[in-house]
Amino acid sequence: MDQELFERLQKEGIISATSAEKIRTVTAHRLFSVHWELKTILYLGVLLLSGGLGILVYENIDTIGHQVILLAIALACAGCFYYCLKHKLPFSREKVPAPNVLFDYILLLGCLLLITFITYLQVQYNVFGTRYGMATFIPMAILFCAAYYFDHLGVLSMAITNLAAWMGVTVTPLQLLTENDFSSMPLIYSGLLLGIMLVGAAAVSKYKHIKAHFTFTYSNFGVNVFLIATLAGLFTAFDGAIALWSFLLVGAVALFISQAIKHKSFYFALIITLYAYVGLSYVLVQLLIEIDDIGAIYAGLLYFIVSAIAFVILLVKLNKKLKKA
Amino acid sequence: MIAYNSKSLDNRDILEQAENAKERAFITPEELEAVKAAYPVDLYTPNPYMRIGIFILTTIIMQFSFGLFCLIMVSAMSEKAFSVLCFFFGIGSYAIAEFMVRDKKHYKSGADAALIWIAGGFILGGVILAANAEGNPWGYCLVTLILSTLFVLRFADVGMSIVAHLSLLALLFSVLAYMGTPGKIVVPFTVMLISLGVYIVSLKLSKIHTYRHYKACLQVLQGVSLITLYLGGNYFVVRELSIEMFNLDLQEGQDIAGGWIFWILTVVLPLLYIYLGIRRKDRILIGIGLLLIAAMVYTIRYYHSVAPLEVAMTVGGLTMIAVAYGLIRYLKVPRNGFTADSAQERNMMEAVQIESLIIAQTMSHTPSPQPDQYNFGGGTGGGGGASGEY
Repeated sequence: MDQELFERLQKEGIISATSAEKIRTVTAHRLFSVHWELKTILYLGVLLLSGGLGILVYENIDTIGHQVILLAIALACAGCFYYCLKHKLPFSREKVPAPNVLFDYILLLGCLLLITFITYLQVQYNVFGTRYGMATFIPMAILFCAAYYFDHLGVLSMAITNLAAWMGVTVTPLQLLTENDFSSMPLIYSGLLLGIMLVGAAAVSKYKHIKAHFTFTYSNFGVNVFLIATLAGLFTAFDGAIALWSFLLVGAVALFISQAIKHKSFYFALIITLYAYVGLSYVLVQLLIEIDDIGAIYAGLLYFIVSAIAFVILLVKLNKKLKKA
Repeated sequence: MIAYNSKSLDNRDILEQAENAKERAFITPEELEAVKAAYPVDLYTPNPYMRIGIFILTTIIMQFSFGLFCLIMVSAMSEKAFSVLCFFFGIGSYAIAEFMVRDKKHYKSGADAALIWIAGGFILGGVILAANAEGNPWGYCLVTLILSTLFVLRFADVGMSIVAHLSLLALLFSVLAYMGTPGKIVVPFTVMLISLGVYIVSLKLSKIHTYRHYKACLQVLQGVSLITLYLGGNYFVVRELSIEMFNLDLQEGQDIAGGWIFWILTVVLPLLYIYLGIRRKDRILIGIGLLLIAAMVYTIRYYHSVAPLEVAMTVGGLTMIAVAYGLIRYLKVPRNGFTADSAQERNMMEAVQIESLIIAQTMSHTPSPQPDQYNFGGGTGGGGGASGEY
């Protein structure tokens, strides 16, 4: 903060002497914070350590060393959870702040090591039998418990991606579109179901006040997965039940957008309208392709120019509305 | 020089600081309102999400308009006509950008950025088409440098300042590469020298009041020039680029001339950055220094593999956690003006959300065995059982 500026504001009588004094004390004792630098180092450390141990275990299968490594993982994992249990603040249905910077990352490391350990047990000894579901179900359940018990958004996100994996869908932010084969109907249906479940979880978190700050994470994954699955359905079923999918898209967009406006979320308003725009453009382009005429190309180009302008105006209006509401 | 009204930008800065002070409860909401009334901001700057949306849509509008023009002119399409169309479009979108800024008071709204990037791209494309020359690309580098510098001065666009710096280096590189062996030898040192120059100039300028509107650009320039300074002296970059670009015939394990200089630079520079960053409390130096430690480790490992990857990862991870743990303990009470606590709670919520997404992206794939290892030691159980036919 620029102290000179606030001195000036005080002279001009815009801010009171007490406020100016507060700012003076703060700027006089200003500290250089390395908070985010430390967090980044911790995050990368956890990423490298868990990744390295995870590979080490499999590299050394059938040697004596690997049982030592396994033991080390188990001990480290137990150590992490011991630390977390010792330092955690009492459980509450509201947001519980982490007791210190380290806590979040120790918990993350503990969860990652636990999953490595369980996956290894499954692979090597088939502890959970041959039902494949169980091998992903148990880590998922543990992650959800840890996320709620220790109040950790990162672990919750991991739990959600594991839930999705258990249902056969990939939902990590960058792979949502690339890694899923959305031309297969079963996957689209699981996507829809998953989306509904996550949006439902978001609503429950919000209205029942169970960790209400988890709402964004749930609805973010939920809305994205649901709308992408709907669009995929629209694309795949183009020759068939196009009207049905269009109705689903329109209905979902209407519902989500009303929620976004209600909760004043610019982010959701933007992504939902973008999905709607993609859907609309797809249907129109398909219709124009069927016309198969040079006029159709002109019409298509004009459509994109006009619609994009209209969309900008819509966004600006929406922005104003959200700001006012 | 700058397209925006300087007074509006100043007022915007004042309002931002006042809002920040209000978030931290140093001033009352009424005082914030008083600041708003005394320093009105007439600039149109929507929130980041709107900016992204408007950026994408502006790009769509311009691209399809270009497509429409091409279609109309498709019968009379020669390469010349096409390059004229590119120029026309580039200048047109620049004019629209000027209009948006002057009359519509857009400031970092997404539309201005999209329009100047499109303008730059089309003008450059027009130049490339018109010149139609093979060979040394220094001319294109020069055009890019001039265009991006112009856009930085006029619109203070952060991305354009990166382009400007990189095109300056590319220009030098292509000119020196053209000059034969002596030129090629001095390439790394020239890159380092120019980067150092850019760093020092942007550091000095960022502290001068007159250039306050360019502060973001100058800070990014500092970061980018520190990185290019390092890359200019990095052993891996120098060696591999010499092989790739100058057809240097090196055998596996053979050293480049003066290799030891680059090894020293590779190891010392990141540490020097961090040391200077801590001494001067400069966040950019510290951040870039930390980033380049990774580059240093990568370079060393590439030529001298001390330990297998997974061991290196485990040891590295443990070291990083230990260092961070030690620092957090050490800074429990603020020392020498450093603290481990976050300075600002503002935007914390958003930062935490982004962090959780990064965790979901990078950590949900726990290592699992490769398919060929899957059956290791287990043996295939279905072998035996001769059927009755035998």
